[in-house]
Amino acid sequence: MSKYLNLDIRKIHELLVEKKITPLDLVEEALKEIENNKDLNAFITINDKVREEASTLGEVDPDNLFFGIPIAVKDNIITKDIRTTCASHILDNFIPIYDATAIKKLKEAKMLIIGKANMDEFAMGSTSETSYFGAPLNPRDKTRATGGSSGGSAAAVAGGIVPFALGTDTGGSIRQPASYTGIVGMKPTYGRVSRYGLVAFASSLDAIGPMTRTVYENAALLNILVGEDEKDLTSVKKDKEDFTRLIGEKIAGMKIALPKYFISDIVDEEISKRIKEVISLLQKNGAIVDIIDMKYLDTAVNLYQIIAMAEASSNLARFDGVRYGFRANDVNDVDTMYAKTRGEGFGDEVKRRIMVGSYILSGENARIYYDKALKVRDDITKEFNRIFKDYDLIIGPTTTRVAPLLGTSKDDPHKAFMDDVLVIPVNMAGLPGLNVPIGTNSEDMPIGLHIIGKAFDEATIYRLASFIEEVKR
Amino acid sequence: MSEFTPTIGIEVHVEVKSNSKLFSSSANSYGMATNTSVNVVDLGYPGTLPTINKEVVRQGIRTAHILNCDITRRMHFDRKNYFYPDNPKNYQITQNRTPIGRNGYVEIEVDGVKKKIEIEELHIEEDTCKSAHRSNVSLLDFNRAGVPLIEIVTKPCIKNGKEAMAYLTKLKELLFYANISDCKMEEGSMRCEPNISISKDDKFGTKVEVKNVSSIHNVGLAIDYEIKRQEEMLNNGETIREETRRFDDKNNKTILMRVKETGNDYRYFIEPDIPYLELTDEFINDALSTLPLLPDELREKYSKIGLSSLQIEKLINNRSLNDYFLGLLEYKTNYVTVVNLLLSDISSYLNKHNKVITDTHLSYEKLVNVVDNLEKGELSNKNVKDLIDSLMESDLTLEELKKEFKIENITDDSFIKEIITKVIENNPDSVNDYKSGHDRALKYLMGQVMKETKGSVNPKKANDLLVDALNK
Repeated sequence: MSKYLNLDIRKIHELLVEKKITPLDLVEEALKEIENNKDLNAFITINDKVREEASTLGEVDPDNLFFGIPIAVKDNIITKDIRTTCASHILDNFIPIYDATAIKKLKEAKMLIIGKANMDEFAMGSTSETSYFGAPLNPRDKTRATGGSSGGSAAAVAGGIVPFALGTDTGGSIRQPASYTGIVGMKPTYGRVSRYGLVAFASSLDAIGPMTRTVYENAALLNILVGEDEKDLTSVKKDKEDFTRLIGEKIAGMKIALPKYFISDIVDEEISKRIKEVISLLQKNGAIVDIIDMKYLDTAVNLYQIIAMAEASSNLARFDGVRYGFRANDVNDVDTMYAKTRGEGFGDEVKRRIMVGSYILSGENARIYYDKALKVRDDITKEFNRIFKDYDLIIGPTTTRVAPLLGTSKDDPHKAFMDDVLVIPVNMAGLPGLNVPIGTNSEDMPIGLHIIGKAFDEATIYRLASFIEEVKR
Repeated sequence: MSEFTPTIGIEVHVEVKSNSKLFSSSANSYGMATNTSVNVVDLGYPGTLPTINKEVVRQGIRTAHILNCDITRRMHFDRKNYFYPDNPKNYQITQNRTPIGRNGYVEIEVDGVKKKIEIEELHIEEDTCKSAHRSNVSLLDFNRAGVPLIEIVTKPCIKNGKEAMAYLTKLKELLFYANISDCKMEEGSMRCEPNISISKDDKFGTKVEVKNVSSIHNVGLAIDYEIKRQEEMLNNGETIREETRRFDDKNNKTILMRVKETGNDYRYFIEPDIPYLELTDEFINDALSTLPLLPDELREKYSKIGLSSLQIEKLINNRSLNDYFLGLLEYKTNYVTVVNLLLSDISSYLNKHNKVITDTHLSYEKLVNVVDNLEKGELSNKNVKDLIDSLMESDLTLEELKKEFKIENITDDSFIKEIITKVIENNPDSVNDYKSGHDRALKYLMGQVMKETKGSVNPKKANDLLVDALNK
């Protein structure tokens, strides 16, 4: 069997339309790749009905690019009848009875969910090492982390198992692993994609987005994910648009800002160097790139630790053993049941964040920390808006370093947040942000460019990203 | 020794009438089979999100309006975090910082003195599951989880059980008439929790909360018992603890449930899953446009058409009769007679058969016809009593019924005259008394006529004919 899944989506689609291959061929290939790459630990659960689903898709629709295409789904997105664990012991027996809105959309597009991708437990972590099921490995160097929290999704795409994956991004969890594994990852504008069925970590920051091999494929997948959802009041009604429409357009005249903070000494020298090369490239092609001052960027990690932890402490309260999921044995009263179930069910990082979040919201602290953080968050948003009055896009590196070696992040929980220092401000402001690979460092590890757009202007991000992708190819 | 001053505040929760729950599309209906009005949102399933039932927001606006509150134009919801098995998400979505209504009042009258009971705030929140405790397990019914509630909190301005009862009676009447809630305390759709403290000076004493009070009357008893209990304690040099007690309606006492732990920490924060709500003038006016007439407006209206205050109160106490009567005001007739009928023969029938008036065949046309017949003397009260079952149950018109019951002839003057002649013949003494100016004799003779006719003649007509005959 030849490697069809390595082909461009448009080519795969053509073969399907010409009936040279079937969806089942693609599924078999993906399942074989999962088997061949077991060591990557990219998946927590394989969809054991996927062959049946592939065989019963019906007649190929020549206008539907995604007909019969396999996709990996991060395991914090609810899938009906497919176990959804959030990479946690507390949900390791949880088989949902409904589909997330994003999953419904995949199914409407006749995509095939091949399996549920590994991740940090409840998306809390930046290397996917907090997974109850063990860390996924970086296909570029198996001694290194994939990044996180969407590490399994990144490994599945970067490892050539499937061309598409859904990730989620609360504080960089799509873009950072995309950067570490050398793929394209988009966190869309907050409200673009329904969160209904995304197991909440930090409700005001969470976003579902596509992780793919190419910019075009990313934009195309986003096309089918978006839309207002009456089940998610924070989803936003927008006119239908084609996110691929600006792909391939020239970049001359685009106005791009690069905040000084993004090339400050917190960033690895090799990465800064690559970024500067990109700047020259863009300027050479007629784009205007200005290095600018931007306030509050350095507060984002602290804000994240306050806002995300606070919301998480409340969002994760429902995992108590009463209605679903793991329940501890040998308990005689309800308080002990809570304590034992949650004590045994959650991993260390999750417990740490619940405790910090509870502390932050407790009594006077809510005013001292949480309310204040919300104010600074508004200031960040205003600061972004100020920059976007004069510029089309903001760029910088996605990460301060390349993918770290496995096992080096665990001992310093605070330092782990620093992996996301450059991507978190985007979540605070609810803006769209994308990672596109721009090359490798001396160790052949991928480096990514982070492109931030105005709210709901993903199309312009894809325009620049596709240009860079083309030049770097 | 100077007197203690009691200070009382009351929290009232009412279940709001709406088709669906506050944050999900499950039906909001009491009495369904256990766990049948439940979906993934009510169960607090992972990944689910709340939606907002705008009708409940409208109900909140109406409540704020009828309780004379300021309506909060820009509001949000908050999460109240606490672990309890009946709390599916282990947080309750409520309104902490931006209650939909603030600074209102309810006017009451106690012993002829009017007083405004001030409302601190009212807010919208979701109800919890109903739990049932068996020997070593607890069972949960999620039908109630997510049912919309409105909580109404008074300022600590109530002084005794009587005021509390007057406030709750008035509040219940208002909420019931505005179609906010059916306010059935026995079914838990209205729950009252008074808190009571006493003090000799301006400083408030220690607050004791009383829960599980099953009627307004018992709220009064609980408050008066608490005041007495606390006075005795303080007079004995004891200290009052902050605690929650329940009312034992067998012994009319309050009993300790739990002592309050210091600092209940609910870790409130703004619910991030529900965007801020901006209540526009249009939305508010729309909500208020469907408010029915409220009791005080009805009192004024009824008083103008000549109903007695007793009739008015009886009518307002019976919502279905009242609503029926309101519809009848479209017709021109004698409303006092209508209300007399509604409150006497018709009420008796309804009570006896356990029906509401809208379940019967008594059309407005038929009732107006009955009243007109009574007025003209073509029908007597006795006739109405005889006809009542048929009037309520049959589709026949009044005329047809009269035929069937052969009661056309009762207005026949000759029939009445015959009886009168007989009565005059048999009571010569009374006739003489009447003729010498004793009015009481007329009453006696009239009584005899009615007795002879078994009440089947129109009394006015009979009276006229009797006077005619006596004056001949």
